[in-house]
Amino acid sequence: MNLNLKADKDQTYDAIVVGSGMTGGWAAKELAEKGLKVLVLERGYELKHVEDYKTAFSDPWEFEHRGKIPIVAAEEHYATMYFSAKEGSQFFFTNDKENPYVQKRPFNWIRAYHTGGKSLLWGKHTYRWNEEDFLANAKQGLGVDWPIRYADLVPWYNYVEKFVGISGQAEGLAVLPDSNFLPPMAMTAPELHLKKSVAQKLNRPITIGRVAHLTKPQPVHSAVGRATCQFRNRCTRGCPFGAYFSSLAATLPAARRTNRVTIVHNAIVKEIILDDKAQKAKGVRVIDQNTMEVRDFYAKVLFLNAGTIGSTSILMNSKSARFPTGLGNDSDQLGRNLMDHHLAIGARGDIDGFEDDYFFGARPGSLYIPRFRNWGTDKRSYLRGFGYQGGATRADWSRGAAETGFGADFKKKMTQPGPWKINLSGFGEVLPDPNNRFTLSNDQTDKWSLPQVVFDADFGENERAMRKDIMNDGAEMLEAAGFKNVVAYDNPVAHMGLGIHEMGTARMGKDPKTSILNKFNQVHACKNVFVTDGSAMTSASNVNPSLTYMALTARAASYAVEQLKARNL
Amino acid sequence: MNRRQAVTQVAWMLGGVFSAPTLQAMNRWEQIAKTTSAGTPTGKFLSETQHELMGRVAELIIPRTVSPGVESPRVESPGALDAGVPDFMDVMLRDCYTKAAQDIFLAGVSDLERKNFVTLSTDQQTALLKQIEADAQKSTNPTFWLITKELTLLGYFTSEVGVKASFDYQPIPGKFEAIKIKPGQKDFMYGNQA
Repeated sequence: MNLNLKADKDQTYDAIVVGSGMTGGWAAKELAEKGLKVLVLERGYELKHVEDYKTAFSDPWEFEHRGKIPIVAAEEHYATMYFSAKEGSQFFFTNDKENPYVQKRPFNWIRAYHTGGKSLLWGKHTYRWNEEDFLANAKQGLGVDWPIRYADLVPWYNYVEKFVGISGQAEGLAVLPDSNFLPPMAMTAPELHLKKSVAQKLNRPITIGRVAHLTKPQPVHSAVGRATCQFRNRCTRGCPFGAYFSSLAATLPAARRTNRVTIVHNAIVKEIILDDKAQKAKGVRVIDQNTMEVRDFYAKVLFLNAGTIGSTSILMNSKSARFPTGLGNDSDQLGRNLMDHHLAIGARGDIDGFEDDYFFGARPGSLYIPRFRNWGTDKRSYLRGFGYQGGATRADWSRGAAETGFGADFKKKMTQPGPWKINLSGFGEVLPDPNNRFTLSNDQTDKWSLPQVVFDADFGENERAMRKDIMNDGAEMLEAAGFKNVVAYDNPVAHMGLGIHEMGTARMGKDPKTSILNKFNQVHACKNVFVTDGSAMTSASNVNPSLTYMALTARAASYAVEQLKARNL
Repeated sequence: MNRRQAVTQVAWMLGGVFSAPTLQAMNRWEQIAKTTSAGTPTGKFLSETQHELMGRVAELIIPRTVSPGVESPRVESPGALDAGVPDFMDVMLRDCYTKAAQDIFLAGVSDLERKNFVTLSTDQQTALLKQIEADAQKSTNPTFWLITKELTLLGYFTSEVGVKASFDYQPIPGKFEAIKIKPGQKDFMYGNQA
């Protein structure tokens, strides 16, 4: 009896954070800095900042396949290979064969089961959402209304931006609110030409991409050991300089600094343990992914930050008399309204001239063209909008395969900078749709006997209508700037998931009858459980979501600590 | 059928660039759920004579160049053989190509074997490759020539000798800025292609 009590006590914390990625790192940092004793549970293996970036300094010739993935490995990983596709970063991506899922409709589920999670894979484009993003559902009668507005997030955007470190240019645009910026990255000559032409002829602004890279580290960054971007653009192999923001380089070190954080690896959270009487969570039940050992951990407050599908799956798997279809699922919205951004569409072209223009360094970022459709006086047949990322660069030696010729002159030509090429890739908003969902399988399980995730989602009519404009408008802008050989492209087999912006399966809302979480990311019906990753999103905007996840997490953590102190949790 | 384009755009948005062989490999990954690999994880893919023949082809695509001067010719820049391209081709064909692509490649090698390629004069070899290249231009499918050229370029321009002889290699540029090209400017290479 006594022994059991002691064991329970040893496994009891003030807060448990499930997941160590983009939002888990923030939850751990904020809760610990406010004095809580925090346990972080990471389902994957331990990955150490710098020392485990094994390929970060490898030269091209040090890779047996020069960066290409052998077929056998590609078969093991096949869904994620579409994105990673590199010998030097393969180990950051989760093996699909060992972690299977069901595709009722095609879905690319890209995962990173290790410390830092997908914060080591992200594209690092970092944008605030605008006021309209939080109003659109209510105005258009779609999904449910957000329980918060842009103004609620402004102080939290300000707060997280300074710690993240975002390079960018202030533009004063309502459609793309400015962040707190470090110096912007430069544009190449054809990019500046495009910016000028599109401003003059189409009255659309183009700015440099806002990216979470330290162009001028501040003391808050140096304090956790982060340094200036070296413009190697080898980010996918992990940044030994800590120049790009990841939980591994930034929030987890800050959390550890408090000496109040414990991280347990290989800990797959099976379910939340509910105290039926109090209608509160007591803790979580965890399976060790290697030993299969089952352990329970206890805390006053739980933060689910396992990634959208991960966090929602845990809620679904937490069944009880009170919640027969999953914790907090009184609204039957759990798993529904799965969103992503639709991409793999845009325009590209070549440009003559600028032969003397070149650039030094490999820029880990691109241009950004903010949304201009359904904005201001513009009105389209579809709802919402899209933006573009892209840029101009000079073709390298690999152009040679498509060119005729070989021999000494050909060889010499391939050592010279090739012609300028440009690409604009659209990022479109996906509407919330209750029939775009995932469920847990009734009969298929993984090797931990947990039910497999079943995806059943696709882009709808609105997205398809929007795609036409993404192509045409991209081509129009390139043509306005005098680019030639302009090709507008669409990829009809780009499925949901490829954007790695899965969102919305435990949405926030005002009404417990139609949403899972309240305005502070608390489960309506179980107040000491917070979900602050992409699951919480009520709509998807057309800009990258990570910054908003981070702001929501810091805000929820602050609220949770207040409520704990007031003995309300 | 255009998964490749999707991935290319994703690469673009991340600021990365894929080389031609990667793009070809992506075409392959589209089919991975349906087809299986050739399954020869170890051992040589090419026979000794095929290895020698492909070394000759690769060297014609990327030849070693020497400075003029009959008395003491000096190597100006290394060629495909100096960079170990035939061995690289062997590994890549074995590990990174589907059975279908391997078959296309092997048919092309066999054709050159039948024509006694290695015994021909340099001019005859060059003429034959030009013909093969011209025929390949007409095909919309991957050809022996495309695979050969991609592997030769990749093997050479990412090899240590190839990179150092060909480019201004900048593994740690430290900054990004727009500049003007200087006379005789070599292409920068940043080492992020793996």
